[in-house]
Amino acid sequence: MRTSAIQAEDLRKTYITTRGVFRREHVERAALQGVDLEIARGELFGLLGPNGAGKTTIVKIFTTLLLPTSGAARILGLDVVKDPWAIRKRIGFVFGGERGLYWRLSGLDNLRYFADLYQIPPDVSRRRIAELLEILDLKGREKDKVEGYSRGMKQRLHLARGLLNAPEILFLDEPTIGLDPVGARELRVLVRKLASEGTTVFLTTHYMQEADEICDRIAVIKKGEIVALGTPGSIKTRVEEQGVVEFEAEGVPDERIRALRALEAVTTVIVDDRELSQVVTIHCSRPGEIAAILATLLDGIAVRKVSVREPTLEDAYVLLVSG
Amino acid sequence: MKYLRVMLRAFEMSMKMRVINAFWYLSWLVFPLIFSVLGLILLSPAGSSRSAYAILGGGLIAYWGMAYLEGGNNIQDERWSGTLEQLMGCPTPIAFVVIGKLASSLAVGILAFLPGIALAYFGFHQSLHHIDPIPFAVSFAVLTFSFFCTAMALAPVYTLWRWAFALTNGFEIGLYVICGFMFPIAQLPGWLQVMASALAPSWATRSLYAATGQSNGRDYLLWWAVSIALSCAYLFCGWLGFRLVDVRARVSGQLALA
Repeated sequence: MRTSAIQAEDLRKTYITTRGVFRREHVERAALQGVDLEIARGELFGLLGPNGAGKTTIVKIFTTLLLPTSGAARILGLDVVKDPWAIRKRIGFVFGGERGLYWRLSGLDNLRYFADLYQIPPDVSRRRIAELLEILDLKGREKDKVEGYSRGMKQRLHLARGLLNAPEILFLDEPTIGLDPVGARELRVLVRKLASEGTTVFLTTHYMQEADEICDRIAVIKKGEIVALGTPGSIKTRVEEQGVVEFEAEGVPDERIRALRALEAVTTVIVDDRELSQVVTIHCSRPGEIAAILATLLDGIAVRKVSVREPTLEDAYVLLVSG
Repeated sequence: MKYLRVMLRAFEMSMKMRVINAFWYLSWLVFPLIFSVLGLILLSPAGSSRSAYAILGGGLIAYWGMAYLEGGNNIQDERWSGTLEQLMGCPTPIAFVVIGKLASSLAVGILAFLPGIALAYFGFHQSLHHIDPIPFAVSFAVLTFSFFCTAMALAPVYTLWRWAFALTNGFEIGLYVICGFMFPIAQLPGWLQVMASALAPSWATRSLYAATGQSNGRDYLLWWAVSIALSCAYLFCGWLGFRLVDVRARVSGQLALA
């Protein structure tokens, strides 16, 4: 029987930090509070959650960069605490953002260095680097200094680094953060292709559309606990009895928003302040009724448009993390 | 073989980054020149009895500076550039990267002797007349080994405790004195000589200057043996330190923090 790609059992992590300058005190902060996960080989798995929910902590434990406080995590059947060196040879990881590269050296220098660090034989690494430069559209620019690369190119170079050892599992921590829509889309296509070729992909993201589009299964994490786990479709069904009412208006006073929130059928109200208007998204159980109430509640306010729609994965996510 | 390749690549990367770093030119060219000028002005009137200290002293100071500043601090450099997590996540112990980078610091650190020697020859008409070539070469190798081991021991210390680098920086000039880079340790008070005897570079420096005719004693074998023994002890501490870095970093998750 083949082992799972990733397994976590009652995984917990508590950070101990210090607070204060003259009177220093130790503070414990629970980042993970008993996470259970099982991810099959070849699966493209997404982990969603707000900032500080524990996404990066999980990725760092799985990539052996962090030790769990308790519980167990196994990667390809190997224990993250006892077998970090064996795991590191078989996985790749890419953290979002522009740091983590030697900017004053060329992309090729960066890749050669990490190829040696991953103990890839020189003849294999030469072929692999050429292949990755081609796939990631960096060919022709590989001898340029990284500092001259666009953000998208830097992220593709990160990805090339993460793929040098042809990993069985690729961990991507917010890989599309800061990328333009075209760059992000290209990256998603590439990630999907990797998964279709058999690489297990574990990705964390803030972007619901991204998770909805490419992930086989997703988990939503909130304050260190998994609050939902399943396919994007199954997560959406959790809120299918819910509806979403959206309206755009100018100058909605706070007391009207409070009145909206106080309505029994309303679960959450999100106000997005734009330059000249506010876009208000209401998650509620009886959208038709709420839309009718709005007419009275927004009396005297210039309302541009009101719409009622089916909940998306993003709506499900908002309900899960704010509920 | 795979670890040798890592060390060579780290050596190469470190060289490339150094050549494009303006601070490096200060380290091997400007700083030794300043110390050499001071040494030559202060020690030249004493005649040739102290001339080797004047000629080599500036270079030794700069050589040591490159070992502990660029070598010892190189894990911290990786942290500042955000590459430390990437390195720690690789299946190769980071100590091999540090060895490669440190070897590169020491290899180019030899350049730091050139400004002092050139200035002494052309500006002050002084040169090293009485060199015993073999003891000098061996002493220099032992000194280099002592610098290497000291930096290997300091690298994890700087990573574990960020205040440690500031502290060492503060004591830097004191170390020049205790290690006898610019004048004999014998001139120091007894209690400072005791401190000096615990430092591997001070024994190697003593033998280096003895090989230039600056000392009556010639206990080379003893000096080399003590320096090498102390250096090995530092290396062992460094090895323990690297293991501690790995565990502490994985417990606290502070690799990405500057």
